[in-house]
Amino acid sequence: MNQLNRDQVVARLKQLPSLPSAVTELLASFSKEEVDISQIAHQIACDQGLTARVLRVANSSFYGLQSRVGTINEAVVVLGFRAVRSMVLAVGMSSAFRPEQCPGFDDQAYLRHCVAVGLAARAIAPLAGHNAELAFTAGILHDIGELVLASNFSTQYAAVLAYRKQHDCFLVEAERNVLGMDHAEVGGLLAETWRFPDSLHEAVADHHAPAGAPASSLADLIHMADAIAHALGLSRQPEEMLMPLDRTAWNRLGMDPAKLASLLPQIEQSMDETCQALSG
Amino acid sequence: MKVVETLPLSEAAIGMRLAVAVLDEAGHVLVPAGAELSEGMLQGLQRREIAEVSVEREVEEDPATQAAYRAKLTAQLDHVFRKAGDGDETRALYQAVLDYRMEHRS
Repeated sequence: MNQLNRDQVVARLKQLPSLPSAVTELLASFSKEEVDISQIAHQIACDQGLTARVLRVANSSFYGLQSRVGTINEAVVVLGFRAVRSMVLAVGMSSAFRPEQCPGFDDQAYLRHCVAVGLAARAIAPLAGHNAELAFTAGILHDIGELVLASNFSTQYAAVLAYRKQHDCFLVEAERNVLGMDHAEVGGLLAETWRFPDSLHEAVADHHAPAGAPASSLADLIHMADAIAHALGLSRQPEEMLMPLDRTAWNRLGMDPAKLASLLPQIEQSMDETCQALSG
Repeated sequence: MKVVETLPLSEAAIGMRLAVAVLDEAGHVLVPAGAELSEGMLQGLQRREIAEVSVEREVEEDPATQAAYRAKLTAQLDHVFRKAGDGDETRALYQAVLDYRMEHRS
């Protein structure tokens, strides 16, 4: 009764309202050799809501700027195009969904977890040779399949959340048992529909099974960041639960206890302010 | 053990380490978190009429209090790790978080 299939999900994804044009343009920029940055900055600036939220993130202590930036152009000059692109994608895509209608879905806990994973991913990235800004975006978006399900299949997803509570199991187990699909798979379908770059696609689709993804992908990094965020209990959900860490991901990232110890303080420092900047 | 204390600026001293960045009214960072306070910094903060600062302090702790805190933390972590298994990597993460929480208490 609650089971979903791939075709149903894809059909619903195709009916989603289109993304802001600036977000679409930025997604396309990953595969372009030359990007007209001033044109994209202009498109972002035309979207007042998006601009306000991006500037809020840019001016938070997360970036530690000595002086405030007041326009998207200034943000591009001061922080660089890649950082602004990451912020716009994180802000623009997460706000495309309205999961409030799903009983039992805690949108504040969702945001806190995604921000924690974004901050953890940003901290791990330099140790693993990845771009920190892209890693942050991947962290913010890694569970976007949950948003798709909670906002588009809210009755079925409410049953998933109730099942999880009743059985005290991993969310992906509840999703597979109730829906026949999990949020990583659904997120992967969204990534295909919205043409995410491969790196983001793999982070979303493979973060619970990183060993199957290419070693160069962000899946290992997001898997690790996800585990750290859960271990720190940053979503503040009573049912917070850590999945076993994948040994392949750990080894490919070159992780060790000393590196872990150096990462942890970096995550909580910017947590509250980044949540505030990305919310509402 | 490190604790975070908020002090009136008049009680802040050279060598103390800032736990939280000091910002001006416009949100500009005057002194970043982690900085060790110098005479020049303290004078600058006085000129800008900053009222208080949050600093880290190393304090000796009563062993019984420390043991009680560790037990509480362990119970919390055991709950979050309840289905995470006992792989070496997972246990390393558990230990890292326990050590971090014991070291950074506010």
